[in-house]
Amino acid sequence: MAGAGRGHGNGATNGRSPRYSAWDLARRGLTGEAWPPAWRKHELRPSYDVVIIGGGVHGLATAHYLAANHGITDVAVLDKGYIGGGGSGRNTAILRSNYLTPEGIAFYDRSLELYRGLAADLNFNVMFSQRGHMTLAHNDASLRTMRWRAEVNKLVGVDSEVIDPDEVAKLVPRMDVSSEARYPILGALWHPPGGIIRHDAVVWGYARGADSRGVQIHQNTEVLGIDVVAGRVTGVQTSRGAVSAPIVVNCTAGWSSLISDMAGVEMPVHTFPLQAAVTEPVQPFLDPVVVSGTLHVYVSQTDRGELVFGASVDPFASYSTRGSLEFIEGLAGHVLQLMPSLHNLRLLRQWAGLCDMTPDYSPIMGPTPVEGFYVDVGWGTYGFKAGPVSGEQMAACIATGATPELIAPFALSRFAAGELVGEKGAAAVGH
Amino acid sequence: MITLSCPWCGPRNVTEFAYGGESGARPDPATATPQPWRRYLYTNANPAGPVTETWLHRAGCRRYLVVERDTTTNEILAIRRPGGAPSTSARHATTGRATEQRP
Amino acid sequence: MTAATTPGAATRLDPQPGEVIDRTDRFAFTWNGVEHHAYRGDTITSALAAAGVRVFSRSFKYSRPRGILTASYLDPGCTVQVDDEPNVRGSHRRIAPGQAVTAQNVWPSLDRDVKMANQAVGRFLTAGFYYKTFIKPQRLWPTYQRVLQRFAAGGTAPDTAPDRLRYDKRYAHPDVLVAGGGPAGMKAAVAAAKHGAKVLLVEEEHELGGHLRYGDTGDLDRLALLRAEVAASDVEVLTDAVVAGRYDGNLFAVVERSAPGLTERLTKVRAGVAIVAAGLIERPYVVEGNDLPGVLLSTAVRRLINLHAVKPGNRAVVLTANPQGDAAIADLQRAGVQVWAEDARAGGDIVRILGRGGVVGVEVGDGRKVPCDLVVTATGWTATTSLLNMAGDRPVYEPRIARFLPSQLPDDVLVTGGLAGDDDLDELLDHARAAGELAAERATEPGSVRGAALPVRPIVDACLPALPLHDHPAMFRGPTHGFVDFSEDVGSKDLAAAVAEGYDSSELAKRYTTATMGPSQGKLETVNAVAAVAEATGITIGQAGTTTWRPPYAPITLGALAGRNFEPVRVSPMQPWHEVHGAAPLVAGAWIRPDHYGDPAAEVRAVRDEVGIIDVTPIGKLDLQGPDVPNLLELLYVNKWQKLDVGRVRYGVMCAEDGVVLDDGVTGRLGPDHYLMSTTSSGAAGIWEWIENWLQTERPGWDVHVTPVTTAYASMNLAGPRSRDVLAPLTDVDLSADAFGYMHVRTGTIAAVEDCVLWRIGFTGELSYELHVPAGYGLHVWETLLAAGADHGIRAFGVEAQRTLRLEKGHLIVGQDTDGLTKAGSAGLGGLVKLDKPNFVGKPELVWQQEVGVTSTLVALQPVDPTEVPPEASQIVVAGRTVGRITSSRRSPTLGRGVCLGQVPPDLAAPGTHVTVRLPDGRDIVAVVQQHLAHVDPEGARLRG
Ligand SMILES: Cc1cc2nc3c(=O)[nH]c(=O)nc-3n(C[C@H](O)[C@H](O)[C@H](O)COP(=O)(O)OP(=O)(O)OC[C@H]3O[C@@H](n4cnc5c(N)ncnc54)[C@H](O)[C@@H]3O)c2cc1C
Ligand SMILES: [Zn+2]
Repeated sequence: MAGAGRGHGNGATNGRSPRYSAWDLARRGLTGEAWPPAWRKHELRPSYDVVIIGGGVHGLATAHYLAANHGITDVAVLDKGYIGGGGSGRNTAILRSNYLTPEGIAFYDRSLELYRGLAADLNFNVMFSQRGHMTLAHNDASLRTMRWRAEVNKLVGVDSEVIDPDEVAKLVPRMDVSSEARYPILGALWHPPGGIIRHDAVVWGYARGADSRGVQIHQNTEVLGIDVVAGRVTGVQTSRGAVSAPIVVNCTAGWSSLISDMAGVEMPVHTFPLQAAVTEPVQPFLDPVVVSGTLHVYVSQTDRGELVFGASVDPFASYSTRGSLEFIEGLAGHVLQLMPSLHNLRLLRQWAGLCDMTPDYSPIMGPTPVEGFYVDVGWGTYGFKAGPVSGEQMAACIATGATPELIAPFALSRFAAGELVGEKGAAAVGH
Repeated sequence: MITLSCPWCGPRNVTEFAYGGESGARPDPATATPQPWRRYLYTNANPAGPVTETWLHRAGCRRYLVVERDTTTNEILAIRRPGGAPSTSARHATTGRATEQRP
Repeated sequence: MTAATTPGAATRLDPQPGEVIDRTDRFAFTWNGVEHHAYRGDTITSALAAAGVRVFSRSFKYSRPRGILTASYLDPGCTVQVDDEPNVRGSHRRIAPGQAVTAQNVWPSLDRDVKMANQAVGRFLTAGFYYKTFIKPQRLWPTYQRVLQRFAAGGTAPDTAPDRLRYDKRYAHPDVLVAGGGPAGMKAAVAAAKHGAKVLLVEEEHELGGHLRYGDTGDLDRLALLRAEVAASDVEVLTDAVVAGRYDGNLFAVVERSAPGLTERLTKVRAGVAIVAAGLIERPYVVEGNDLPGVLLSTAVRRLINLHAVKPGNRAVVLTANPQGDAAIADLQRAGVQVWAEDARAGGDIVRILGRGGVVGVEVGDGRKVPCDLVVTATGWTATTSLLNMAGDRPVYEPRIARFLPSQLPDDVLVTGGLAGDDDLDELLDHARAAGELAAERATEPGSVRGAALPVRPIVDACLPALPLHDHPAMFRGPTHGFVDFSEDVGSKDLAAAVAEGYDSSELAKRYTTATMGPSQGKLETVNAVAAVAEATGITIGQAGTTTWRPPYAPITLGALAGRNFEPVRVSPMQPWHEVHGAAPLVAGAWIRPDHYGDPAAEVRAVRDEVGIIDVTPIGKLDLQGPDVPNLLELLYVNKWQKLDVGRVRYGVMCAEDGVVLDDGVTGRLGPDHYLMSTTSSGAAGIWEWIENWLQTERPGWDVHVTPVTTAYASMNLAGPRSRDVLAPLTDVDLSADAFGYMHVRTGTIAAVEDCVLWRIGFTGELSYELHVPAGYGLHVWETLLAAGADHGIRAFGVEAQRTLRLEKGHLIVGQDTDGLTKAGSAGLGGLVKLDKPNFVGKPELVWQQEVGVTSTLVALQPVDPTEVPPEASQIVVAGRTVGRITSSRRSPTLGRGVCLGQVPPDLAAPGTHVTVRLPDGRDIVAVVQQHLAHVDPEGARLRG
């Protein structure tokens, strides 16, 4: 879409959220003056230039960059629940860019770059904590894959290297690096720029940024159908009425195939629950994010002191997010294999979110066979880290009508062409 | 943890089974063109609701089974042998009973 | 008066009728290094309260002193460290002799806390303040973060594990599980048992009885009768145990916190029917000063007085809105506490609670200030709907009783007791009895299937009559703002501010303020939080709704969840020999096998020059029988199989339906309808399933029987020019080159062991025999061969030497020289892939791959500088961009130089091409593409010898 839209956003700065600063915080602390809303409520209008389905990080970032970078402000973000209620509010918020393929690395590295500047850009502290990301290797096959990743990363200029068990022990003192462990640690891929972030803050920061530029955010607004006329999208049907729009963007992650079905677009997406859990807080002892592929577990410690655990997706496809006992049993077993001293920490809460898995562990971004209907989906278990770059690139794609180079490898058409993204290469090296 | 009623072994924990994905018709490999073949390889119906899929009773009889399951509740609607008729499903055994007991 | 203790240390009362302390058993323990005494049966906080201790922690954000509030597991301010165990619930855990108890989250000490300064600046630390600050300059954020981490709540995790972890797991399959051992739960359990059901009754407190335990003598009499009924029944009772979660299929996690000899035990309960009788939790009143030490719930003072004989204060103001509050007044008066009562039913209220380090007075409804050292509130109940919620319930707010009621449940979950409604004890017990009987009926009915996911249905539909409801005033917040979440330091004002800022649903406000996210997970706070959100948004509590309850209901140690570590390890029958002979272990999935015996290069040379022997038992082996085996092989392998004669062996490669290389191995024909297939070790389980899948679902008409025999045989490979000489004297098989040629199979006797299978194949590139011996004789045959080979210079070799040997020979390893996207056309298989076969798995994609041309191919490479050995995964680069990689590399002892396999693009694949290899240390070296994949003996003369 070229041009700057119909400009409903004009004047929308009235009543928008003021700049956050320590000074204003102090002033309001003294005067008791309340903060105005970070985003506002609106009536649903009968038409918009762009309708974005899904108020997670992807939908909100796309809306934000449409407005901020391209002046397209007549945009509605529709979510069936509350913003961040999907994967964006349930993930373990691990950020990294040390992927396997040059195209994957370039893409995620741009996202990290945006994340680094995000607090300032959005005037919202998203608490990005670059504490380093460590992937353990427990056998020579995974050590080889780590090296593979490290070498490709170095070529692309991303800081990622293979370290030995002594260095692992130095970075994570409680780790069992002995050779007696059931799955001894042979080394690790160490990626200092990786880290964790406050996921809700990213969602809210983008929502506030988009709102301040005139984007309308509609919560509790479920899309029930998509109107397609002669191969072209014309609007959506929602629980609050019909909305016409020449451009509709699907940013619904775990639900994305249901939305694409409404437009008659088939997708290689399969929805699996992914579970996570958190312990009661203890005093900080674990700095980096630690991942073990062999043991299917990853661990980080928040600033609040809680340990956050994740693992691989559930063993079968489902839209149920109730979670299972087997999951936390297996998780605890694996955590204790890595760090046996944590036996008397208590697991406080478990939860699940939905992941839109694709055959090659890579997203699907860009136009579809239905004109005006775009997808930004297939985010699986790894899409939070890609929120900023996806928003930026999807916005450019929509605004210019041309697919930007960074996301070209992730086109929907690659499946029919049999050109899967090489991230699958490492993921499937089983041994 | 749900159970699946294996037509050979009876009700067993789902952890005994391996999920094999949605059942889908394979195009004739001899005549298939890339488009439908890759659609078969990669595309899923992925419905929020009933779906027919393949499971393996890995830690039991090691038979492949056809399972109908509701993906929103994980309720098992029917289980049968590949190509065979539906067996008595968990649903018939339990829901029917509860209905009879209502005053 | 210091903040931490009240004057007059002796607050222990005379013996109380229902007390649970044993006054004959008094012992010492320490609190922050100071010795105190307790009676057996005391909780940590009851013992300390009896000694006059009032402050047990500092709050998370503002560092406010906190004392006893609930005197139960949920007590938010009473979490302490006991020895090396963090986050112990001090108002639940019974103290044991000699324990060292310390306060957590205090820096530098409980009395003097630096973060106390935060209280002064509290007005600036409003909800979400950190999102609005520390934004610039960004480079300072890590520093701010270190400061924030100082605030981390919680104790200290131990840094070493004890020698023996004392955790365990078990399963239980009761017909009826009863969650909650109050009067309703006890009655329901007994009724179900009388009805013939096997019943498990689980109670979180240390004894059965619920609120009757801290009741009056009438309550105690009723309790004694109920306890007698339980004791006379077959009900299995677990106390100090909690039903921590309900999962699909009516599976429950039950955590036993004082199973004998164990720290914690997880019981996994598959219940026929569960009865939830978890009762009600008393709700704190939100009003200014409600977190001060000395502000207690009415149930808390009743527990302290009646169970632990602790006098909680001297002058009390009691705000009561219900009979429980009235009973608390009676208890207090009996304990000699002066009581000022504010009756909410008659318009009484509390405006604010006064004090700094502890309560000193109350401003009551009419504005008067009443001095006191104790404030007690009895303002309402929260229904413990969490387990029901996990079963699919959506609790509905009932304004008349100011609490949520369950609304919809599956047939295998029932509710009774206070959760279901109000009534006097007799009626409640009648309801509980009916629930128990119904549960027993449903669970024991013939044909009932456990573990199915059942749909939920409205509770009015169910078979139990509804209990009456007693009106209760809706009291959530007083005339001033107070704390809603004590562990997170979130007040009603913060929630109102969050709503004003746009976080205007329960879920958003919860996330923005972190209310209900702390250790009690909202059991104490949720409804007050919802009430605050509702008030701020101008909607009803019912419209605001509660947030979703997530398991677990109560926290579970990682140790209990993990249980004992039962990760099996597989070893071959020859493992004892390996261990004695100094094998370096290699963990390969479930297998532990020898990597080498000290000198892999020497092992390689032994195989090339004389003879070596390797244990290859983990190789996958499938016995295939039936007339359709050739059809199966033809379908699954990319090469041709119809014309494999008896006695012959062939190498084959399998692809998945996307054409990607899946596995490889050899298959030999032992008899007309009898074959033995080998797979990679890691592929063994998967290929068995792959074959069964094709046979069962796609070719059910084929007559093939598959038996996995991987561990039925011990497998060893005798390799090297002298292998024939070693083996010949030990076998009845004629080994002469003419009688038993390359790629042939024979069955026969080895070292007097019958039914052995001998394959003449050569992964190492040498004359070699792969011997599959009935597993029980594996060690015998192995040792016999080694003894026989001694004169020939035999040497055992491990996986490392084998990898080098096969690399010298240019044999690929699936998953190393190929990856998850490598189709057969890129795997260096040359003419093996027979695209002219009518059909085989993966063929369509391989045909198309050939049509468009491969993008990558496997070649052998040698560095120009023979001393270089580029590490595996070194990248092959063109103009600084990666175009391929080294997949395998070793220094070849045979050639005395580095040898490699690698994936390269077609334009670099021609023999003689020079490619640039970027080493991990940053250097670039040049390597040359070889004519053949094999670096050693490309003609295969040694193999066929
Ligand atoms: C437990 C867990 C851990 C994870 N850990 C990580 C991690 O560490 N790092 C990482 O990078 N990624 C992680 N992920 C993945 C990541 O969370 C997701 O990929 C990412 O959040 C997707 O964002 P999104 O904006 O595309 O979708 P979501 O945040 O899921 O948003 C989709 C939105 O669409 C809405 N919606 C759906 N249907 C409709 C409809 N019909 N009408 C209107 N709205 C609708 C939903 O309500 C939802 O809010 C994890 C995921 C989970 C579940
Ligand atoms: Zn079975």
